[in-house]
Amino acid sequence: MLGLLDSHYNYVAVMLLLGIGLYMLVESRNLVKKVIGMNVFQTGIFLFFITLAFRAGGNPPIIEDGGGPYVSPLPHVLILTAIVVGVSLTAVALALLIRIYTEYGTLDEDKLKQLYYD
Amino acid sequence: MIDHLPVLLVVLPILGGAVPLVVSLLHERAGWAVATLTVAGQVALAGLLAWTVETSGTVSYEVGGFAAPYGIELVVDGLSAAVALLVAVVALGVLAYARHAGPRSNSFYSLYLLLVAGLTGMSVTGDVFNLYVFLEITGLAAYGLVASGDEAKSAVAALKYLIIGTVGASLYLLGVGYLLAATGTLNMADLAGKLGSMAAYDSTLVLTAFGLMVGGLTVKVALFPLHTWQPDAYANAPDTVSAFISALVSTVSAYALARLLFSVFTVEFLSAVPIARWALLGLACVSVVTGSALAVSQSSVQRMLAYSSVSQFGLVVAGFTVGTPMAVVGASVHLLGHAVMKGGLFAATGVIERKTGATTLNGYAGMGSRVPVTAGAFSVLALAMVGVPPAIGFVGKWFIVFGAVKAEIWPVVVVLLASTLLTLAYFARLVERLYFAEATIHADEQADATADVPADATVADGSGRAVSTGMVAVVVAAAVLAVALTAAVPAFEQVLNETLPQLLTQ
Amino acid sequence: MTDITSLRPLFAILVSALAIPVILSLERRPNVREGVTIAVALAKFAIVASMVPGVLSGTRYVFSLGKFGPGIELTFRVDPLGLLFGLLASLLWIVTSFYSIGYMRGLDEHAQTRYFASFAASLASAVGVAFASNLLTLFVCYELLTVSTYPLVTHDETDEARAAGRKYLAYTFGGGVAVLGGTVLVFVLTGTTAFTPGGIEALATADPTLARAAFALLAAGFGVKAALMPAHSWLPDAMVAPTPVSGLLHAVAVVKSGVFGIARVVLDVYGTGTMEQLGVGLPLAAVAAFTLLTASVIALRQDNLKRRLAYSTISQLSYIVLGLALLKGDALIGGLLHIPAHAFMKLTLFFCAGAIHVETHTDDISDMAGIGKRMPLTMAAFGVAAAGMAGIPLVAGFVSKWYLVIGALDGGGLVFAAALLVSGVLNIAYFWPIVYQAYFESPEGHDEKPLLEGPLGGRDVVRTDGGDADDDTAESSPVESSEDIPEPQHVDHLGKHHEDDEHHGGPPAGGWTKSGWRGGESTWFMLGPILTAATLSLLLGTVPNSVVFLRIVTTIVGNLPGVTL
Repeated sequence: MLGLLDSHYNYVAVMLLLGIGLYMLVESRNLVKKVIGMNVFQTGIFLFFITLAFRAGGNPPIIEDGGGPYVSPLPHVLILTAIVVGVSLTAVALALLIRIYTEYGTLDEDKLKQLYYD
Repeated sequence: MIDHLPVLLVVLPILGGAVPLVVSLLHERAGWAVATLTVAGQVALAGLLAWTVETSGTVSYEVGGFAAPYGIELVVDGLSAAVALLVAVVALGVLAYARHAGPRSNSFYSLYLLLVAGLTGMSVTGDVFNLYVFLEITGLAAYGLVASGDEAKSAVAALKYLIIGTVGASLYLLGVGYLLAATGTLNMADLAGKLGSMAAYDSTLVLTAFGLMVGGLTVKVALFPLHTWQPDAYANAPDTVSAFISALVSTVSAYALARLLFSVFTVEFLSAVPIARWALLGLACVSVVTGSALAVSQSSVQRMLAYSSVSQFGLVVAGFTVGTPMAVVGASVHLLGHAVMKGGLFAATGVIERKTGATTLNGYAGMGSRVPVTAGAFSVLALAMVGVPPAIGFVGKWFIVFGAVKAEIWPVVVVLLASTLLTLAYFARLVERLYFAEATIHADEQADATADVPADATVADGSGRAVSTGMVAVVVAAAVLAVALTAAVPAFEQVLNETLPQLLTQ
Repeated sequence: MTDITSLRPLFAILVSALAIPVILSLERRPNVREGVTIAVALAKFAIVASMVPGVLSGTRYVFSLGKFGPGIELTFRVDPLGLLFGLLASLLWIVTSFYSIGYMRGLDEHAQTRYFASFAASLASAVGVAFASNLLTLFVCYELLTVSTYPLVTHDETDEARAAGRKYLAYTFGGGVAVLGGTVLVFVLTGTTAFTPGGIEALATADPTLARAAFALLAAGFGVKAALMPAHSWLPDAMVAPTPVSGLLHAVAVVKSGVFGIARVVLDVYGTGTMEQLGVGLPLAAVAAFTLLTASVIALRQDNLKRRLAYSTISQLSYIVLGLALLKGDALIGGLLHIPAHAFMKLTLFFCAGAIHVETHTDDISDMAGIGKRMPLTMAAFGVAAAGMAGIPLVAGFVSKWYLVIGALDGGGLVFAAALLVSGVLNIAYFWPIVYQAYFESPEGHDEKPLLEGPLGGRDVVRTDGGDADDDTAESSPVESSEDIPEPQHVDHLGKHHEDDEHHGGPPAGGWTKSGWRGGESTWFMLGPILTAATLSLLLGTVPNSVVFLRIVTTIVGNLPGVTL
């Protein structure tokens, strides 16, 4: 168990982030916190990709410097895209939250449910 | 020009989508015209592409000139060409509907075109990460469109859709990560070759990747029990949007799922790992049954139609998972046919609501005489969905059942056959009320009735309650297509057989 | 046998399908609308009849719409068996069209345009069923028939009619699903669904378990529309439809499409040889024999005339199925000949019931004492047809039952012959009281008929036939004068009340007025069809050899390999 922590601590961190994010997403009654949870969840995935690329003793993948071994550049590129997607999602979510708040005057999920089904 | 067709198909709507925003500076209502021009171009391009695929086989394109396994590849075979064409045609049809039904703001049409771009991208891409990006573009545009309704509810529905949809897409992304770890590539064709040789099919890594990716996509397809976003989103969006996203968003996601099954994991994976196949089949069958059961228990017509989608996509996914060539053709036919039928049904609910104020099952009573043409088209579409021959709904089912019998998966055969009756259960009630019941809403008290019934669909931009010929024409066209498409099935089957040999030759 | 490609099968189907939009567009001009219906009915019959000589001399007319995928091949082919059904349906449509006009106008019914349009659609699908050349085409038309008859069943738009419609859809679509399953199985087993006289050869060598399963599915699926027990209960409920619908559709087109489906499966999909080899004929025969006896007994208990006729239909349909299931030459002839014979007789009976309903608003047999005075011609026709049903010579029913009994004895099925004869006696038992009481009794003093009455237990307000006791009390109170006859919309054809204070039938206070024998009792729009149908059943009974139907039937059976006459 401790060995796992030592050698694969990055995956442990990923799992923690995913778990925390999902928990907030499901359990939090406040919609803003839900959106934050969503962000944490996504960050866990980003971290997973980034650490995939890691290679002990690897150089940055710029060919002129010294030479291999390099860390994989691909996940970095992917995550750059994914972060952009994540930011846009957050922006849309926040815009929706503002609209919900102006319409209903609350961001509490339970109260909203009552208003919603009336 | 011809060589660049696949990428043009994605670029055109994105560029077109930017135009209405710019034009806003000069004119407030130019969005519709711009969107119509763009989508008309899109239909032409998609038609050309489909024709190219039909005559000269699969088209592939390397974006930016980067060679295939490293750069992004777009691959268009018979199935993807058909889906891309469907997206373009439905988009054009819905625009005819939107002309009068609204919303009319320029930003709405920007989002609309963005959604077209996302859907087209999903259907032509040959790269699993690129698929994720288009999945999210589709999602973002769809969330925005759902929220474009005037009512407060639409924002809540959109947020629900956003959160659940994002979790689904994120799970898919995580799965992509696992695949990348297992094989080091993201290109679909490359993955298909490396899975099984570089990483065993039944290794934990591959299995987890399969679970995450398929699980993520089933959220977008809205299979039970991951469907909860769908009824709210469909019922609270403006009519135009309901018709559009109900016809396309889940459809293209289901297409992506099929692409994943056949072009990434391949049929060998399914036969090597029976548990994966059975799990997906089980999910699909449960979806068929519970989706119908939920549909029967609805009183709002639009929510009923939304649950009906849950059930029908169960059918599609079951067809894909059975995996025999016939079943795959059947699932593809049903996928496209369902898009036409469901889009038409939602468009019809919009027309009926505007004309009579009816939104619930009881409100529909006796409306057959008030809106004869729309009600007639609605009934034809409903019967087509039930699978009354010779409509398209029957042909798809026939192929799927035939494939399942060939594969001797008897429980699935039973569910598939029963699905006819389950679908009948909720549509028969509606058609019966439409024609054979005393009207509960009368023309003179319509204003009150509209106020009494909690409106499920809103009219955005306050664009009046009148109905244009264009709107009715779209509904009728959908009904005609639902029957006429049957005649196109032989050609479609041939194209599929020619362009998807790797998945149809087992 | 030679196959000729011809447009005639297609036209025969399309002519009434194309009439639908025309009829719908003529809503405001009812006379033209009905004119169109009659013209189309005549045209349809002419097209079908024009193929009779060719088919009898061994030609088959074929028209293919093309192939839409593996197994999905829409082809129509006119062979003797298809011609039998197609000719019958199109001939009787003419008769029924005239009758419909009299009936619908006599009652001033609502939604007549929808009614006539649906009728045209039903006939298009029924002829499609007849001319289908493979199981899939048959299935397509079979489902369309369900859809197009649904508006007719629900025509009244009352709760009861809607419930009957729902039940109808649930039963028949359920049957459709079974047929679809069976069709797929047959296709997977043999690679074809085309009808072949003598059966598809590959079925004989296929996996017997699967072949039996496919037969069970097909027989069960078609059995629903053929009202085989226990899937029969939609039929009595569907009697809530207007009487011409009950007459043509629920005694001829719809139920016979089920029987016809079974005939196709027995003769042209499996073939008598394979049937015997698989041993599936006997269970089917047993179900049919059970149904024909039980339905006759239940018919005894029905006081509503249309419901009694419905149970009689259930019973008579099983004669046909029994004849088919016995797999012997004479039994086959008898069974197939019973298709037209029963059609003529039952149509007469239903038309009479409808005429009585229109003229006097009487639906229950117990109210009909002495009605022969009021409607002499109608009741005479009723008597003739009822005699035929019981198998009394000189009427059509005798000929077909004669063949059936001979066939049953020939095949050693003594039990089945006995069942047929017992059922014949039961037929007399439930038809004779109606005729007797119509002519020889008066409303004031008539005996209790052998209707099973008296509660056997439970609440005493419930009658043994399941109806409400309220019916009785309302029925027995005579009305003040004939002007009090309620508006038709308050009474449906099963005689149930929608408004308690209304009276709905029975003789007027002064007894039945006397009508002459020259047609003063009703309009000739209704009497004409009644007498035509009755005459047809007499013709088929007295000179069967010169009526084309027997020749068609012998051609069908003669063409079957391995069947000796």
